[in-house]
Amino acid sequence: MSKIVILGAGISGHVAASHLRRKLAKEHQVVVVSPNSSYQWIPSNIWVGIGRMQPEQTKFPLKPLYKKKGIEFKQAKVTTFHPEGDAETEAPFVTIEYVAEKAGQTEKVTYDYLINATGPKLNFEATEGLKPGTNGVYSVCTYSHADHSWKALEQAIAKMKKGVKQKIVIGTGHAKATCQGAAFEYILNVEQELRRHKVRDMAEITWLSNEYQLGDFGMDGMLLSYGSNILKSAEMVEMIFEDRGIKWILGAGVTKIEAGLAHYENLDGEYKTEPFDFAMLIPSFSGHGFKAYDKKGVDITDKLFKGFMLVDADYTPKPYEEWKVQDWPETYQNPHYENIFAPGIAFAPPHGISKPRKSKNGTDITPAPPRTGMPSGITAKLVADNLIDKIKGKHKTLHHKGSMGNMGAACIASAGFGITKGSGVSITTYPIVPDFEKYPDSHGRKLGQTFGDIGLAGHWLKLALHYAFLYKAKMKPFWWLIPE
Amino acid sequence: MTRRISKTKQFIMMNPIIQFFKFIYLSLKVLVIVAGGHGGTR
Ligand SMILES: Cc1cc2nc3c(=O)[nH]c(=O)nc-3n(C[C@H](O)[C@H](O)[C@H](O)COP(=O)(O)OP(=O)(O)OC[C@H]3O[C@@H](n4cnc5c(N)ncnc54)[C@H](O)[C@@H]3O)c2cc1C
Repeated sequence: MSKIVILGAGISGHVAASHLRRKLAKEHQVVVVSPNSSYQWIPSNIWVGIGRMQPEQTKFPLKPLYKKKGIEFKQAKVTTFHPEGDAETEAPFVTIEYVAEKAGQTEKVTYDYLINATGPKLNFEATEGLKPGTNGVYSVCTYSHADHSWKALEQAIAKMKKGVKQKIVIGTGHAKATCQGAAFEYILNVEQELRRHKVRDMAEITWLSNEYQLGDFGMDGMLLSYGSNILKSAEMVEMIFEDRGIKWILGAGVTKIEAGLAHYENLDGEYKTEPFDFAMLIPSFSGHGFKAYDKKGVDITDKLFKGFMLVDADYTPKPYEEWKVQDWPETYQNPHYENIFAPGIAFAPPHGISKPRKSKNGTDITPAPPRTGMPSGITAKLVADNLIDKIKGKHKTLHHKGSMGNMGAACIASAGFGITKGSGVSITTYPIVPDFEKYPDSHGRKLGQTFGDIGLAGHWLKLALHYAFLYKAKMKPFWWLIPE
Repeated sequence: MTRRISKTKQFIMMNPIIQFFKFIYLSLKVLVIVAGGHGGTR
């Protein structure tokens, strides 16, 4: 009998738990530890943030589902890692602290295999004044943040209807923030909602981002097939922003937010401010600050974490020109403890994807590498498949591999909600991490499989994905036929 | 606002019939990316 403990019930944790449970006999224990009572389809937060979806439509409670499927659920958060056990406990374990009903209680949870799928810490504290709901700044990173954001936007719309002009700023709230895609979706959705409410002329909308160029998305930009043309993602986003009257400020590392004022440093080393009435700025993502201890209680955090969790990546520091796809992990296994894995956002990337840039004052202003839903799901499934094969004795080695340098991703960015009036920017990339050796003439990616498209169909696709992935997450009949 | 997307292009982008076929095309295209699989690089 094996016991697999999964930390986190987001996209990657839930994908891993559901595949493990489906393919392993009941004698093996699958345990999920997560502080949230619900599973949430985060990509649809964008629509919660414009009031076109209720938070309830994007989530469902985990406890009844896990009970039905035979997955043990502990509503708790992990606090420390003990991969060698301790003086009293022979087996490796994690310490957890319950939330909700058993709030405050702690427990040692032992495991044979550990999957750390705790995603990112939303590091609002890294930027002074960025806390959602303060200083006129909001977030869409969780459904409650998004709902809060909508309430504030609704008030701004009401003011515009009364003839008061509003300044809206959307983008990134830190020099090293990632997830530009989510902010990009939000700015386009907000813009369309203002048109729907017939107040578009009352608002000035500005994109404020740490990207060097539009369309960088933390992925160094892309060269895309667009119809019969080949276009840079920068050109595509510029076309969309100009067409919708959205201004932009680039290379901006936001340092501080005061009531209605964003302070930032740009790549020219200038310190500037941007006023706003309503802002949505994505925070930087960081590791959770977990600690790890060996059998004797000695701190071994650096064996497990480098901010996020260490996996089979090449972490040797090297300049951008020497970055290779081979640096990226393939099995998401910790190099020191072979029974610990970290798929999704929880693993420490070897380096960025976008070219690093510093301001004239030496401040790093570069987007961190994103790990979107699709790679999060794929990496979780391959970790689960490797464990399943290992437990069933089919393979001793980890033969399921999936490097982001040999994996495609589809990003369907909503550009406005509505069955007939909606729009979406559909972008696919292959590979996610550019492979400049394989594709030297197309900025490291395969044209044809890296393409962009804009239109109503994109909205339908995003909506179809919302329903399909919630169906899959609820583990309804034949859920496993829907790919990650 | 600067018109960067022509009226014809806008019509194509928002026409439900054309976009229905685009939806099928995009769904297949995404499936091809997924079916293309993934692997190691070393
Ligand atoms: C607004 C927004 C829109 C997005 N839109 C898209 C999109 O359109 N397409 C796309 O592909 N991707 C999108 N993404 C990215 C996508 O949501 C992430 O890639 C994905 O959620 C990452 O999955 P994960 O499981 O690694 O992390 P998460 O989904 O963050 O899950 C982490 C889990 O760990 C739990 N956890 C945290 N701390 C602890 C702890 N101490 N102990 C135990 N558990 C813990 C959390 O409660 C959570 O359940 C979007 C992201 C945002 C914020």
